[in-house]
Amino acid sequence: MDLIKWRPSEVFDPMTELDRMREEFDRFFGLEPMISGLFDRVKSPAIDVVEQDDAFVVTCDLPGVDMKDLEVNIANNVLTIKGEKKDSREVKDSKVYRQESWFGSFQRTLSLPDIVDPDKIEAVMKDGVLKITLPKKEEVKPKQIAVKVS
Amino acid sequence: MAKELENKTRRVLAPVADICEAGGKVILRLEMPGVSKDNLEVKIENDELIIEGKREVPETKGKYLLQERRNADFVRRYTLDDTIDREKVEAVMKNGVLHLTLHMKETSKPKKIEVKTK
Repeated sequence: MDLIKWRPSEVFDPMTELDRMREEFDRFFGLEPMISGLFDRVKSPAIDVVEQDDAFVVTCDLPGVDMKDLEVNIANNVLTIKGEKKDSREVKDSKVYRQESWFGSFQRTLSLPDIVDPDKIEAVMKDGVLKITLPKKEEVKPKQIAVKVS
Repeated sequence: MAKELENKTRRVLAPVADICEAGGKVILRLEMPGVSKDNLEVKIENDELIIEGKREVPETKGKYLLQERRNADFVRRYTLDDTIDREKVEAVMKNGVLHLTLHMKETSKPKKIEVKTK
């Protein structure tokens, strides 16, 4: 007799089937979920990291996050952006038609190279976008050396 | 697509939206990070509510080591029905989130009829 996995629901739900299929594909190809840290959420704010000649610029989308709910710190060259996105529905007991946004705590950590000067980091929040400028140490900045032609 | 955006090559993205109804008002909350008050346009054309938010290009110059944020403008359109008062639309932009309040017409609000017992 064959043993067949019992499915609790007889109802065919295409979304569940799709999720199950994706999980199987991921397992087959050995794909790990993108975020796997203990305190990382599946939904976490999107980040850009840009290297410039004299600094690194980290940009993070944080729409609807208050400055006071946000914490940016650096320890041992690890940059941590931590905060809480509050439940946005202004009126409680309302009829919700659509809720696409997420809320809750989030955390992103970035390992920085040694060349970042931790004392000169600047963070600015504008229009729901957090921009952190991490200047490089003076000694590693590219220097222009004029070559004289004799 | 909106006429203004037809001749532009930049991609558009639908902002994340929450919609709820309470006390004769329909409240929309659209997340548009990076859009300032000046780059935002909210208008009603015929029966369509059009929300457009433009982001600065290019936002940061340099070599991208990690790029998760999508480089696009925001566009979202909704069709309004007759119960929405076109003259009373409030829009507030705060922290990259647009809060839109649409009022329902007085006549279309549900009327409660008291039932008396004898």
